Amino acid sequence: MKRTHPSPTRRSLLKAAALAAGLGIGVVGVAQAQDKAPIQFATLMDFTRVYTFLTSEYSQGQQDYIKLVNMEGGVDGRPIKLIIKDHASYPERGIAQYNEARSDGAVFFDFLSTPVANALMPRANEDHLPMIAFAHGRADAADGQKFPYVFPAAAIYRSQAALLLQFIDEHEGGLKGKKIAFVHIDSPFGKEPIELLNKVSALKGFELKLFPYPVPGTEQAATWTEVRRYRPDKVIIWGAGPGQAVSIRGAVGNGIAPKDIHSVIWLSESDMQSFTGDTVVGLKRFTAVNTGTSPAILKRIVDKVITPGQGSGDKAKVGTTYYNIGVASMAIAVEAARLATKKLGAPLTGEKLKQGFEMLKDFTAEGLMPPLTITDKDHQGGGWGRVSEWDGKQWAPKSDWSHAFQDVVWQLIREDEAKAKK
Amino acid sequence: MSYFIELLINGALTGLMYSMVALGIVLIYKSSGVLNFAQGAMVMIGGYAVWLLAETGLPITLAIMLALLVMFAFGLLAERVLLRTMVGQPIIMIVMLTLGLDIFLRALGPGLLGTEPKHLDIGIGMAPLILGDVLTNRTYAVGGVIALVLIALALLFFRTRLGTKLRAVSDDHVSSWSVGISVERAVAISWGLAGLCAVAAGTMWGAVQGVDWSLTALLFPAVAVVILGGVDSILGALVAGLAVGILGSVIPGYVDSLVGGSTRDVVTSVVILLTILIRPYGMFGREDIERI
Amino acid sequence: MFYRLSGVYHTRYSATRQLWPIPADRWQIGAVAVLALAAPLYMSDLYLSSYLLPWLIFSAATLALTLLMGLAGQLHFGFGAVMAIGAYTSIHLARAGVPFELALLAAGLMAALIGCLFGAAALRVKGLYLVMATLAMQFLVDWVIVNVNAISGGAVATLQTPQVSYLFVPVASLTARYYLALLWAAIVTLLVLNIKRTSFGRALVAVRDKDFAAAVIGVNIFKYKLLAFFTSSFLGGVTGSILAFCFYQAVTPSQFNFDVTIQLVAMALVGGLGSVIGGFLGAGFVLLAPIVLLNLIARMTDAGWLNVSTTLMAHIPLMLYGAMIIGFLLFEPLGLAKIYDNARKYFLVWPFRHTQS
Repeated sequence: MKRTHPSPTRRSLLKAAALAAGLGIGVVGVAQAQDKAPIQFATLMDFTRVYTFLTSEYSQGQQDYIKLVNMEGGVDGRPIKLIIKDHASYPERGIAQYNEARSDGAVFFDFLSTPVANALMPRANEDHLPMIAFAHGRADAADGQKFPYVFPAAAIYRSQAALLLQFIDEHEGGLKGKKIAFVHIDSPFGKEPIELLNKVSALKGFELKLFPYPVPGTEQAATWTEVRRYRPDKVIIWGAGPGQAVSIRGAVGNGIAPKDIHSVIWLSESDMQSFTGDTVVGLKRFTAVNTGTSPAILKRIVDKVITPGQGSGDKAKVGTTYYNIGVASMAIAVEAARLATKKLGAPLTGEKLKQGFEMLKDFTAEGLMPPLTITDKDHQGGGWGRVSEWDGKQWAPKSDWSHAFQDVVWQLIREDEAKAKK
Repeated sequence: MSYFIELLINGALTGLMYSMVALGIVLIYKSSGVLNFAQGAMVMIGGYAVWLLAETGLPITLAIMLALLVMFAFGLLAERVLLRTMVGQPIIMIVMLTLGLDIFLRALGPGLLGTEPKHLDIGIGMAPLILGDVLTNRTYAVGGVIALVLIALALLFFRTRLGTKLRAVSDDHVSSWSVGISVERAVAISWGLAGLCAVAAGTMWGAVQGVDWSLTALLFPAVAVVILGGVDSILGALVAGLAVGILGSVIPGYVDSLVGGSTRDVVTSVVILLTILIRPYGMFGREDIERI
Repeated sequence: MFYRLSGVYHTRYSATRQLWPIPADRWQIGAVAVLALAAPLYMSDLYLSSYLLPWLIFSAATLALTLLMGLAGQLHFGFGAVMAIGAYTSIHLARAGVPFELALLAAGLMAALIGCLFGAAALRVKGLYLVMATLAMQFLVDWVIVNVNAISGGAVATLQTPQVSYLFVPVASLTARYYLALLWAAIVTLLVLNIKRTSFGRALVAVRDKDFAAAVIGVNIFKYKLLAFFTSSFLGGVTGSILAFCFYQAVTPSQFNFDVTIQLVAMALVGGLGSVIGGFLGAGFVLLAPIVLLNLIARMTDAGWLNVSTTLMAHIPLMLYGAMIIGFLLFEPLGLAKIYDNARKYFLVWPFRHTQS
């Protein structure tokens, strides 16, 4: 059973010393001069566990865009430095990294992970450091009064669902009397739009049925059997990562036409790669940011960063959905930093950056996004988006930028707040 | 009624796909009494191996053949480097060792090859198999057949000369040594065979969901299968796979929309818990569980 | 020289039975205690809040687990769930206005109750099967928390901890939270140290080494296994609640999922099963090593020594974490506690090279 050790040897002492030294390294703090130093943005994300499907492309977009910004002179003559770390969606690791980045002088945060973002939202508020939760994170973050330092800065999940419903209402023969199946992953993220769907269903008179499937979403056979028996007119799928392709395969395998499938924002080109030919042409997806490399901002990235070989990742990924979302998130932050330094003067602080965000008005990142206007009340920026359709090669826009049922979205946010106060 | 039959058939096929993963665990446990928590990660590595070889332009059948060889070697290596030094250590150490291997592999694969799900095309279309009023997924059907073949092969294998040796080893290490059977070799071979199962499972599950780290999550249903069936029974892996698959399909099929949440993991957990309470050694397992 | 044994004469039995009979050990404990008590004075907020605080709390959790796994030999792969029960119980009570002291107590009792329920069910089996049964507990508890809105707080699924005070001190500032965590870690440490010296502890060890043999010499194995589950789950529940109130200041289900369970087991094993100092060392190592490694790799890439993709860089610490668990099990199965023990023994007999024991 037990290994008997001879008396302590020099080797074991060396081991102990090495361990002690290894731990000691972390304690060496680095103090940095603040005035001439770069502006630091901390992107602490999950590269290894839950959000793997998204993070690498998203981070690649952010890095490439920051390279472009720095080539073009940075913000107010100061370059931007990204602090990139992996917290693997562990809140305790995220908290540690947040504290560290904060003491290193970071003024802006992006966590890209619901559990970590949720754990850190109150702290960001206390510390007066703005964070972005682009198109994800909890719904009440849209309320600038409650969370002054948290910016979804794009349509929150409920707005996304609302827009999909409106698209069905306006372009696919109306909602009234339709049977809509909501097939979702059984997690807080998957359940988030349910209340909105219920409200709109009462408003518009359609029938709604919920079909949850278990985490991590890779096995849904029984769910789709049930969906088919329900004979829905339209299907909304709400998942992320590998589960999305499984959902589509389940839907098509059970005789649901691709044109009747509508998806949340998390459905990328690489998810669609597994469908060859035109098997799923016509599938719709919520889109917050244009895809492809045609927007001016992407062209400049390609010309100045990618073509000279400065890109931070696989060239083939440039212009994908998640890459462009990464570019958009950073473009918003950089623009906010610019506005803040222009109007409020250097050096940039968390408070100033927050006000910079709230100065954003009709910002489109050179045609990459719908016009974004953030106020001190509305941190969502209106909940804009569009619906795109898969044409076999890429996502083609099917509607103009618009937003839908924002009154219901905000009513729900107020209700949540009232509930939380109780 | 046809709804029930469809749930039943789809559940059975899913269960057979679980059996493929479970079979690897059973083979290792049978020879060495080690419950391999890294089998999920081995399935993932198997999937990656097939994908990598197919990416080089090899036809998919050849890629699978080569991957089988690679994973057999991988199994031998894992046994030689890790497990052999742990013989005689307390069970918690060995469990944790395989968990450590699981964590290591889960980082290694996506870290080197990229995190986005890899698409594995094994030439099975999306069109469903239609039997009257019942639809089934073609990939699952093929997977179910492969699982049946693998289990049959495993049962036959234990009737060969080498298999008999393995059976002897699974009975008693010391007495096997004393009659001149190389226990180390037998254990190593069982790890190699588990590697083969991992390729089969990795290919089929990879075709269903794409190859990425989430393949390692197959460990949980597979563990439920081996607990229910008996950790050292191949037949148990088959029967319990069917049972877990069917229960995990039929019960959620009726209950999920009532409770508004997915109940499959609960069903699996309850199966594990009830089995351990009522019949800890499983349906077909041997009762002398204190052997470890 | 360092551990001077000459001149130490015990004239009473109680003196030989005290916790640290060697003066040098007492000196060290005293120094560590002073350092820990004074930490808010000399340590920056960063190191206090993101290293020392979680280290203390996770050490307490590891000690609770090591009491069960190391001392009583009952394997538990659902300890994250035990802590979750404690955290959710206390947060709901505190939100309902129950004083925090009582909420903590209730957290422990609730965790102990549910822990015992599963423990009692699991007592028919041991070894691998106990691992499975407790694993099932982890998944069941996770499911209940996620799916019962009254517990998780609905779709948003994050509960902020309310303002509470402990013994009339508001638990809000970092210093207050640190001292509460320190107090709890000290209580757990003393408790586990002392349990080892009582008849209860000796009975647990007897059960661990061979339960049938223990029964033969008159130890009621059912009672003691259940007591072990009760004590450990109680401590785990309170620790979960301390973790929520002092560190996260919020509760979400993913804070206590299966990965956390594995982390805790890894802490107990890397530290050395059943060892108190090992609990602290193991928790520190498993918690801080990935952070340190990550910083190291980030510095190396910044300096241009290392050119790897972001994806690979992010996976390296996870690889090393796995490799570290494997490495410890292969090369030092008795964990960091054994390394510490070797070092201590070396100095104990220094300048000679051998001990008699």
